[in-house]
Amino acid sequence: MNDAPYSLYRLKRTPFHERVAPLCLPQNWRRWAGCITVGSYDLGIDREYWAIRDAAALIDVSPLMKYLVEGPDAARLLDRITPRNIHKMAIGQVFYTGWCDDDGKLLDDGTVTRLGERSFRLTSAEPSLRWLAMNAVGMDVTITEATDRMAALSLQGPKSRAVLNRCCEDGLDTLRFFRMAPNRLGGRSVTISRTGYTGDLGYEIWMDAADALPVWDAIMAAGADHGIVPCGILAMDMARVEAGLFMIDVDYTAANHAWIAGQKSSPYEMGLGWTVNLDKPGYFVGRRALEREHREGSAWRLVGLEVDWEGLERVYAEVGLPPQIPGTAVRGSLPVMRDRQQVGYASTSTWSPILKKYIALVHLERPHFEPGTRVEIEITVEHHRRYAPGTVVALPFYEPEWKKK
Amino acid sequence: MANPDIIVIGAGHNGLVAATYLARAGRKVLVLERREVPGGQLAGDARIGAFATRPIHAGGQLRADIVRDLGLANHGLASEASADAGAYLAPLPDGRMLRLAASTDAATLDSIRALSPRDAERWPEFVRFMNSAAAYLEAGQATPMPRLANADLLEQGRPLAALAWKLRRLGRTDMFRFMRVLTMSAVEFAEEWFESEPLRAAIGAVAIHGVSIGSMSAGGGYVLIHNWLNRGGLAHRGTRGGAQDMVNALVAALRARGGELRTSAPVAQVLVERQVVRGVRLESGEEILAGTVLSDADPRRTLLGLVGAPELPPEFVWQAQSIKMRGSVAKVHVLTDGQHGIPGGTVVIAPTTKYLERAYDAAKYGQVSEHPYLELTHSGDVVSIHYQFAPYSLRGGDWQAMRATLERRAIATVSERFAGFRDSIREVRSITPFDLEQTWALTEGDLNHGQLILDQLLFMRPIPGWSDHRTPVDGLYLCGSGVHGGGGVSGVSGRNAARRVLRVSARG
Ligand SMILES: Cc1cc2nc3c(=O)[nH]c(=O)nc-3n(C[C@H](O)[C@H](O)[C@H](O)COP(=O)(O)OP(=O)(O)OC[C@H]3O[C@@H](n4cnc5c(N)ncnc54)[C@H](O)[C@@H]3O)c2cc1C
Repeated sequence: MNDAPYSLYRLKRTPFHERVAPLCLPQNWRRWAGCITVGSYDLGIDREYWAIRDAAALIDVSPLMKYLVEGPDAARLLDRITPRNIHKMAIGQVFYTGWCDDDGKLLDDGTVTRLGERSFRLTSAEPSLRWLAMNAVGMDVTITEATDRMAALSLQGPKSRAVLNRCCEDGLDTLRFFRMAPNRLGGRSVTISRTGYTGDLGYEIWMDAADALPVWDAIMAAGADHGIVPCGILAMDMARVEAGLFMIDVDYTAANHAWIAGQKSSPYEMGLGWTVNLDKPGYFVGRRALEREHREGSAWRLVGLEVDWEGLERVYAEVGLPPQIPGTAVRGSLPVMRDRQQVGYASTSTWSPILKKYIALVHLERPHFEPGTRVEIEITVEHHRRYAPGTVVALPFYEPEWKKK
Repeated sequence: MANPDIIVIGAGHNGLVAATYLARAGRKVLVLERREVPGGQLAGDARIGAFATRPIHAGGQLRADIVRDLGLANHGLASEASADAGAYLAPLPDGRMLRLAASTDAATLDSIRALSPRDAERWPEFVRFMNSAAAYLEAGQATPMPRLANADLLEQGRPLAALAWKLRRLGRTDMFRFMRVLTMSAVEFAEEWFESEPLRAAIGAVAIHGVSIGSMSAGGGYVLIHNWLNRGGLAHRGTRGGAQDMVNALVAALRARGGELRTSAPVAQVLVERQVVRGVRLESGEEILAGTVLSDADPRRTLLGLVGAPELPPEFVWQAQSIKMRGSVAKVHVLTDGQHGIPGGTVVIAPTTKYLERAYDAAKYGQVSEHPYLELTHSGDVVSIHYQFAPYSLRGGDWQAMRATLERRAIATVSERFAGFRDSIREVRSITPFDLEQTWALTEGDLNHGQLILDQLLFMRPIPGWSDHRTPVDGLYLCGSGVHGGGGVSGVSGRNAARRVLRVSARG
């Protein structure tokens, strides 16, 4: 049978597919940036979640969009696109940043890694080649898409350093938080950055797609004694909420995906004010609008909400049930009220196994976003709307002391 | 001049008009021109050939209110009344001439009647409609266009409402005619009015003049009204002393108001800090600071060249890159012994509307028309040939190699109609689109700083959403032909830009 038409619709496979597919016992697959990726390797996600928090979890993050930006104006281009001061980056430094359209509304977020004086790697969630090219007019820079030819693994958890120290040529004890260094792993050239999407100690390993399997094997072998666990993206989703990290098109709508202006978000609103460097010289995309927002203050902000357990119990007790908690992070909008008035909404909520709390990323209107503010979140109890009380907290919810050490 | 309030980049006529309006309002204005001479396209260039510095222009007049406001009569500009429109002449296959004036004089009517009595009957109504359409366009050019997606509706709404009211006052028939004609092709429009092919072609030629469209392209109707307005009909009209008089008068008026003009002062960079203009840097390295800068250079050159894409928002850059320039006009100047046999006035070589379309076909494919549409004017011994189409981007060749072909085809085409022409030739000099770019700083050789086509007009000129002379850089304004009101000699875009600057500063 000719399967050409079918292959048109088939999702891309990551370079690790051969390894992860046999392990994905429940066939719990998720689509990520056009790729088929593992949601979870078990029916539940506890084992993978606890690997992130207690041991080491190995996650295939190859679907991330990756671009190489090189040339005399490479720093200038990224300085124009992002609100951060790229010129101040050291070689080997990694910046997390969002970037905006000219109305100062977020288009995407990702990391910028300075590989050399004139070369950078940018990761993004959405295809960004056109945006990069549009911004590079009049600059001496080359932009190369590396999404498919690079594989990426995320090794997260308190044991991740020990695992890598076992299989890498150069030890990782001196690699600081948000730094990157070239290394050799399983006989292959890789670059390793101390980054991740879990808020734990963790590393991301970047390699040629052709080297993916030997690198996977080497890490798995080195991690055997440390309780390494292949981990899907559902467990990571829980961990990232605990870490106060948001996700594009879940916790904010990319400005170019929004139907109406009200769906768009600024970096200030998303709590990324610290990435906006208004003092840097020159134009950068969104400068005008961000200057204005900085002056006038933001209309709302992304903060954390911790739901009172007793309150939750009380609401469920009314119908004779103990609190019913979903097993994964919930990506659904839930109204947040104060004095019976809606003051915002939650975009992702989850049970936090490590904190033993029900938590949510919430978007609250000024002035309700101050930490300590008491609000209520809507929950559905036996098909009826109820409100559970909770407290506004600063993000992140969870940050272990070893994360940056 | 130390510390000018306002810098104007470019001493084309629109730059000079803007500068003089601003000087008249009490501003300290400094005009910086890259060439050794002011006047922009109105000024010839010695390098093209000494004799050719004279008649680069067939005609052109500033709008009457500009002449009045700036007191140009006091600075040597001959009055409008003295301008001789001359006739618009189309040689016919049998050797006769179709002679058209933008009036209903007996000679015009006789000339048309010889081709078609019916067309002669239609002619007065045609002239009346064209005059009313041109007057309406003039009002449109004087009306600030709304910036799309801009909340300032009240401010924008009033002048627009007035314009809409004027449209209504054209009367039902003319209103609809006007709205229809804008989008029509030259052929469609001419066919609707007239049955005689030579008459249709003669009118159709003006509907594609100066623009890279064919007689069957949409938007010819607009171009016809635009050119009719600038020319005052079909034939060119000049000021008595020619374009140079106009330039001299503008420079004198500027200086009389305390403005300064520096020639041989090319601007290399518009200085911008965080989207606010600071001044300019000359190619010499000299920096001159000013809080307001106007540019008479074309929008592409100004925005992408002088400001630079890195200082501008990406969507805006993309739109600036998308401005269609695509010049395809060349000029061939011929010094003769005076016995060229070409009558005075404006002579058009465009026998049929299909001939015009075929001439344009070549341009579509990057070729120089083998049988070009020509317009001839002369000042005594020098014959000036306007040549369409000679596209800026040549397929598989360059303008250095193509120049001789261009000249040969121009001469052959004229000689077919005027037998004595070839033998009268002493010297030939041509201006190609490449020359227009190199010497006159016209991107892609586009005389209009951006094609006069439907998607680049009115509130979409130069860029949709930016039709009010402003740019994303505070304090930087566009005043040349590339903005609303521009294209050809009129001074409209310069006048409008100066008004815009004064209105903004009045608001503080
Ligand atoms: C051969 C030819 C024949 C024409 N015939 C007619 C006609 O018969 N009737 C008619 O109405 N129109 C005609 N036109 C068109 C008409 O000349 C133009 O539309 C008009 O002159 C444009 O005036 P402007 O001031 O807007 O721009 P321009 O005249 O183009 O002036 C722009 C000025 O900016 C200067 N400049 C650019 N960059 C810089 C810089 N970096 N630093 C300093 N200065 C700079 C240029 O040197 C130039 O002087 C003709 C054009 C040509 C080329």
